[in-house]
Amino acid sequence: MSQTRKELIQIVRDWRTLALALVLPAVLLELMSVGLSLRVNNLPVVVQDFSNSPDSQRFLDAFRASISLHIVAWPIDRPPEEALASNTARAVLILPAHFGREVARGVDAPTQLLVDASDANTARLVAGYASRITRAYNIGTSGVPPPGPVHPAIRLWYNPGLSSKKFYGPGIYVLGLSMFPALLAALAMARETEQKTILQVYVSSISAHEFLLGKIAAFTIVALAECVIMLALLFSAFGLRLVGDPTPFLVATLLYAFCVAAFGTMVGALIPSQVAAMQVVALGGFLLVFLLSGLIFPIENIPASLRWISNFIWGRYYIEIVRDALLQGGGWPAVGGKVAILALIAAVFYGIAWRGMRRMQLGV
Amino acid sequence: MLTTVRRLLGGHRIRALIGKEFDQIRRDRRLILSLILPPVLQLTIFGFALSASVSHLRLGVVDESQTPESRELVASLTESQSFRLGGQYASVDQLGAAISQAQVDAGVVVPYHYGRDLQRGSPATVQVLLNATNANTATIGQAYAEGVIESYNQQRQRAGPQPGIARGDTPGPRRRGAVRLMPAYLYNPGLVDSWFITTGVLGLLLILNSSLVASAAMVKEREAGTIEQLLMSPASTTEIIVAKIAPLFGLLSLMMLVALAVLALVFRVPFHGSLPLLLVGGVLCILSGISLGTVIATLSKSAQQAQLTAFFVNPPLSSLSGALNPVEAMPGWLQPVTVLNPIHHFATIARGAMLKGSGFATLWPNVLALLIITLALAALSIWRFRKQLS
Repeated sequence: MSQTRKELIQIVRDWRTLALALVLPAVLLELMSVGLSLRVNNLPVVVQDFSNSPDSQRFLDAFRASISLHIVAWPIDRPPEEALASNTARAVLILPAHFGREVARGVDAPTQLLVDASDANTARLVAGYASRITRAYNIGTSGVPPPGPVHPAIRLWYNPGLSSKKFYGPGIYVLGLSMFPALLAALAMARETEQKTILQVYVSSISAHEFLLGKIAAFTIVALAECVIMLALLFSAFGLRLVGDPTPFLVATLLYAFCVAAFGTMVGALIPSQVAAMQVVALGGFLLVFLLSGLIFPIENIPASLRWISNFIWGRYYIEIVRDALLQGGGWPAVGGKVAILALIAAVFYGIAWRGMRRMQLGV
Repeated sequence: MLTTVRRLLGGHRIRALIGKEFDQIRRDRRLILSLILPPVLQLTIFGFALSASVSHLRLGVVDESQTPESRELVASLTESQSFRLGGQYASVDQLGAAISQAQVDAGVVVPYHYGRDLQRGSPATVQVLLNATNANTATIGQAYAEGVIESYNQQRQRAGPQPGIARGDTPGPRRRGAVRLMPAYLYNPGLVDSWFITTGVLGLLLILNSSLVASAAMVKEREAGTIEQLLMSPASTTEIIVAKIAPLFGLLSLMMLVALAVLALVFRVPFHGSLPLLLVGGVLCILSGISLGTVIATLSKSAQQAQLTAFFVNPPLSSLSGALNPVEAMPGWLQPVTVLNPIHHFATIARGAMLKGSGFATLWPNVLALLIITLALAALSIWRFRKQLS
């Protein structure tokens, strides 16, 4: 216990560390939820209307009314590709000269949409938005396709407003939690070795288990403090609520806080240099959790040759638990197994840290 | 001006200083590693792992109708690339439970009267449920579902049991033509996600790595206390700075070439535009990264502190750059801020030069902005460095 107190005192003394532990996660949460969102509204589209007829105007009005796209002025004599090359627009809609005549005659009027596909995902969204607007226009004016024989009634569950924040918020919360406590724990542990204060620990009456548990407990407390701050932010600014049974979430949060603290301590025990330990944690905590845990993009999109790695990424299980607790509310049957895996990973980290500690002891 | 530069570079002092820096770098195995490994590793992992494409969503099916028509609809949904069969469920409740436990991503409910309604020629409604936790996936999945059902409708109308009735009741002359939208995907017709990601990551890599390496190199002298010795030597501050930066700059430029090779060979990113323009952008990026690293180094006393400070600078820099996601996805008041971000300009230049084949004529605003940012950062770093020395 006194080991825990000593660690906490050391953390509070260094403003940079303290800020890193408590302020940065909250800032990161706000920033990244903004910086990661993929769903876009209000995309600029250039229109070249060679027909300039009442029908073409009505068709364009449908585009003007949409909130997903907005029309940008573009001189009709300049090649439309320039608008895409200079990033003025995401897409160009070209209405041919005979558009009005053909619509009036009752012939289908082909209309071209040039999409800047250098960003493939946004290109897909633009094309989807445009075709939905066109479909609505067709149903509205020509009365054809009479509501086709099969009519899909689409319901969006859990996030009906399609707010990206609700998806990324929990993910970034996990990312912040995976990175900072682990980083601080690794630094503290590596510092003991670097400054040789670990020798004092060896000669004291404290056992390896007591020493490690004391350290991990301190950083678990730090992690839980971070949790509280970030959850407060998630609940207030992101409009998320706990749905369903909160017990798996609470258990998992405790386990995960222990897990990241143990990970940091393990890295610190194995790598006795602060700078190198920091790099390893940044790689493990940030890169792996960021990329291979389904934080932004679904895990299924990772090629199979890399996907198996994500089974070992501790953050992945916690992300799924958090999303379940905050959005889906599946409760124990949905996430029970993941909680168990988290416990297992935490135990493995602790075991490795303990072994590393003993090896250091023998090596001295 | 030119002669001073020549005297500076030709002088034996600066050569000796540069030689010393090179020796130090050569001995630092970790530095070399951090120059070679990240471009290859990060580009590969980012490029392969960060794919926003939505395909093979697991579709849970509740078929209450159990008719040939309903099976046909389910087949046409699951045959597409967009969905695959995730499971058959007996009731809507079971399907709902499966969605909430993330066993399936989407569900379709075919009602009991479906087959009968279609045979009678009256419209039928099927319910499509999407797990919208991920807004992006849900938006694209929604468009897929609508598209598949629309083409299924067209198929039925063409080959359907009573095409005459379906067609005949719309009187010809009064009918207005429909608009047929034909999207064409320019620059990336195969919609390859990695082209967007890797060009963005290239910018992140150049700036973040340059700043990391530079701050490490700058702070080392200070940590070891050897900076006083340098100051005591006859070398001027400018000479010290130039000698510090030159070898780093060379190595980082090398890293840029390695990264470009990965882009071209591993990801087959096409190269349509001007290479010199891209290289100029990259060089400016590296210089602004080095300046940023120097500023960070002057704010910290040890390598550890420098790295911790970098944690405060890098996340906003990278997440507000539009390197990994479209700028339009940010809230309106933040979008103008990206103008100050060198990564944003480099990503625009890289995408313009590589994918779109645009030249200086269209990209000059970004090059100019990058130049100004670099000069401003360089001035700031020299000022901070001088202040620290005096």
